[in-house]
Amino acid sequence: MRRVIGIARKEILHILRDPRSLAVAILMPAMMVLLFGFAINLELRDLPVGILDMDGSSASRELIRSMTSSGFIVNGGYLSSRSEIEPGFRHNRFQAALVIPRGYARSLIRNPSTEVQILIDGADGATAATVDNYMNAVIAMTNRSSLPRSLAPSLPLLEARIRYFFNPQLVSAHFIVPGLVALIMVMICAILTSITVAREKETGTMEQILTAPVGAHQIILGKFIPYILIGAFDASLILAIGHLVLDVPMHGSWMVLAGYSMLYLLIALALGLLISTVSRTQQVAMMLALITTLLPTLLLSGFIFDHSSMPVVLQHLSKIVPATYYLRVIRGIMLVGRNWFPLEGGVMLGMTVVLLITAVRRFKSRLE
Amino acid sequence: MYKSNPTSETPSDYAVLAQGLTRRFGRFTAVDRIDLSVRPGEIFGFLGPNGAGKTTAIRMFCGLLLPSEGEGWVNGLSIRKESEIIKRRIGYMSQKFSLYNDLTVGENLEFYGGIYGMKKSAIRERSEALLKHVGLVKHRRKLTGSLPLGYKQRLALGCAALHDPTILFLDEPTGGVDPSARRGFWELIYELAERGTTVFVTTHYMDEAEYCGRISIMTDGRIVALGSPSDLKGTFNVKSMQDVFLRAVES
Amino acid sequence: MVLMYLVKKEFRQVFRDRAMVWIIFVVPIIQLLVFAYAVTLDLKNVRLAVLDHDRTAASRRLIEAYFATDLFIPAGSVGRPDDLKKLLIEGRADMTLWIPRGYGGDLAGGRQVSVGIAVNGTNSSLAGRGGGYAWAVIMQENERLIEEILLKNPADSRIHSIRPVTRFYYNPELRSRFYMIPAVVVIIVTIISGLLTGMAVVREKEIGTLEQLMVSPITPFQFIAGKTIPFVILSYVELSIATTIAVLLFKLPLEGSFLLLAGCMLIYLLVTLGGGLLASTVSQTQQQAMFTIWFFLVFGFIMSGFFFPIRNMPAWAQYLTYINPLRYMMDIVRGIFLKGSTLTDLLPHLLPLFALGVLMFSAAILRFRKRLG
Repeated sequence: MRRVIGIARKEILHILRDPRSLAVAILMPAMMVLLFGFAINLELRDLPVGILDMDGSSASRELIRSMTSSGFIVNGGYLSSRSEIEPGFRHNRFQAALVIPRGYARSLIRNPSTEVQILIDGADGATAATVDNYMNAVIAMTNRSSLPRSLAPSLPLLEARIRYFFNPQLVSAHFIVPGLVALIMVMICAILTSITVAREKETGTMEQILTAPVGAHQIILGKFIPYILIGAFDASLILAIGHLVLDVPMHGSWMVLAGYSMLYLLIALALGLLISTVSRTQQVAMMLALITTLLPTLLLSGFIFDHSSMPVVLQHLSKIVPATYYLRVIRGIMLVGRNWFPLEGGVMLGMTVVLLITAVRRFKSRLE
Repeated sequence: MYKSNPTSETPSDYAVLAQGLTRRFGRFTAVDRIDLSVRPGEIFGFLGPNGAGKTTAIRMFCGLLLPSEGEGWVNGLSIRKESEIIKRRIGYMSQKFSLYNDLTVGENLEFYGGIYGMKKSAIRERSEALLKHVGLVKHRRKLTGSLPLGYKQRLALGCAALHDPTILFLDEPTGGVDPSARRGFWELIYELAERGTTVFVTTHYMDEAEYCGRISIMTDGRIVALGSPSDLKGTFNVKSMQDVFLRAVES
Repeated sequence: MVLMYLVKKEFRQVFRDRAMVWIIFVVPIIQLLVFAYAVTLDLKNVRLAVLDHDRTAASRRLIEAYFATDLFIPAGSVGRPDDLKKLLIEGRADMTLWIPRGYGGDLAGGRQVSVGIAVNGTNSSLAGRGGGYAWAVIMQENERLIEEILLKNPADSRIHSIRPVTRFYYNPELRSRFYMIPAVVVIIVTIISGLLTGMAVVREKEIGTLEQLMVSPITPFQFIAGKTIPFVILSYVELSIATTIAVLLFKLPLEGSFLLLAGCMLIYLLVTLGGGLLASTVSQTQQQAMFTIWFFLVFGFIMSGFFFPIRNMPAWAQYLTYINPLRYMMDIVRGIFLKGSTLTDLLPHLLPLFALGVLMFSAAILRFRKRLG
């Protein structure tokens, strides 16, 4: 046991003495939480729309006003001709353009229906669809409110009360911060572990350790301890900042969260160890770590992009990404207040066991 | 006793000349006002324990470090002002051997020949000759990383000497190699010196001093003895270089 | 000439490591595929659970309207409001719809009626859009009801409505994949040219060959060129592979000129290579270099406008993005692929990029001395 602590101490000293390791291990997570909390926003807001008002009447101005009154869409500038629309898209000056034809006001009075054009920059497909939805909805509401009083009472009015659970204000931070914990833990632990071992192999200090009477298990344990400490520290830091500064709620139990997080940490470390056993150089170790940990966690786990819209193949793939399960757990605990996750817990336990056994076995055979 | 060099001769008479050469790192003085001279064709040994400042001195001669004080000349050229020209005609072998482990023996030679501006035909000829010389012909296509330490050492020497430099600076070339391999290596050095190459070698093995024409002993940044092995043994009245060292350090 | 030997050595080292070959050729392709298919911000298969207290033809029609497209899929039909909440909590439904008793009757009588929609707000982006779509369905149903009534009474001259006609430029089918793929190309090139180059230089430092090179007559320029040229070539190979796959497999349009794209990339490489080199001059070990570059890369990606729109960021963050080369490159690449942007269109992006590149590269060269210490 003393030897284990000896190895752990050496590892910790290594990290503490190298300011860059510290920067990546501590500064980066803190900065990321703050960045995500204060600067990053997943919602759509303040989308500039260019206005080509060829009528210039009070009716057209009224339409424009109702479009921009909610803050979702803002006036992106008045255009003087159609030819300004495409350049505006290409220079990213506005996302959409509203074209009100000449004679709009007169046509409204005379004709049953009057056309206006909505031209949208489709490059950003998701935003484009939402802008379209929104502008159509505003027009629909305008239509409804312009119905003559006498007719209105006999026309049905269908409405919806929409409530958002678990995150009523739809604050991005509530959604992202738990995900950030998963992302950063896996990033740091896997990378650091794999790099450290690869480095020792390259510079030959691995052989020196081996000549001492220390078993493989003890080496691994000794190596893991510092990263467990770092991982725990980072997770706590992120959650503290998230909860106290960014007001991310915590409806569940901290103990339960700690337990599942520990499990997740072990998975990440085991993965890091495994990667180190198959990489001969540091460049390879890093790249491999990125591909197998960062990328899947970022894209497939549900961190930002939802599973439901992914093709089936990727949905299946996401089932072997540990973060998929951990994210459900941490979001469930923090935002929903659930404390019992039999499926996720079981899968994570299984992953931990499998990965640890495989990694340890490979590590041992590499030593011999 | 330590004799200082006559300064009436010009730098170009010497392969290597140092006057009051000093190098400090902050408060620590690694090399403290050393004077030495090496004549062309000599095998000059730079002895001393680890940390004595030998590597720092050699790095100054090779243009890797600027002196804090004093001046030095290699081939008559100033190490302060003309180091880039110096680099064209010297060869260097560092402690780490500085070979590319993922290139083959032949590829390493080809590379080092190329960056010294040698023509392809010259590289080919010289590589052939050197490989025979150092006994690595059979291993030309082997990955350098797979070679045992002794072979790597020879290859490093070959790479340093490929472009036919006038002076070879070898920094602890025999580090970590077994005695018989060391002896073999020194034979190679002799052969190079016979062809007129000046060899400037640092080592912490006292027995290797016997192989040199003249040696200097360095401790704590200062030269405490300078001369041929036999001269020094006579001066200190001892039988072995080990004792020379002990006596020199005492005084 | 001397440069040839340096470049040759570098290529030999790269290709001799089988793992590196995989990293350079296979991994970016995997990245491209995964990104393209995984990253859809399009809404699809949102699980909607329904509680229909009314059970009339009218309520059934509303439910059908929801499941008419693949936007929503049924997540169960329950009998009590508590069950709806339970499905949300357990994560078995993303949204729930509650149709009150009397729905059909109220509508027929021309009265106001309100349905309840609950959304799992955990994923705020999805929730917001999902809620928006749910509301849109309601509005459409409302319009349909009104139209039906108006049809029965011939067109009343008192009805005047605005009819919006939408047209999408550049991406008529609104595939978010088209938005993402060009950005992935940028990521791939950035990693290869920034990270790998920096590490390659530090590797020489670590194994001691850098010292050997410093003692040789090669100039700093030759050394830097020898290190960067191979990765420039590899970056172009990556660009070509990625573009080919994107265009052929994903049918990504390439409205602009590939030549322009290649030219812009050269300027971008100035920045990434310069950055990688700069990082290598301040690092003694590969690990340090890696961490340094990694640090900047991560924040560069986050603030590039790739995942998160810059428009939404607070002012201070938006100002910061002006020195982020990735921001410019993302716009450039998207512009060329999707909008057919020309050189003049891109100048406002290219000039800052060029300035950054010159800055980085000169800083790197200046720090590069043929001396230690």
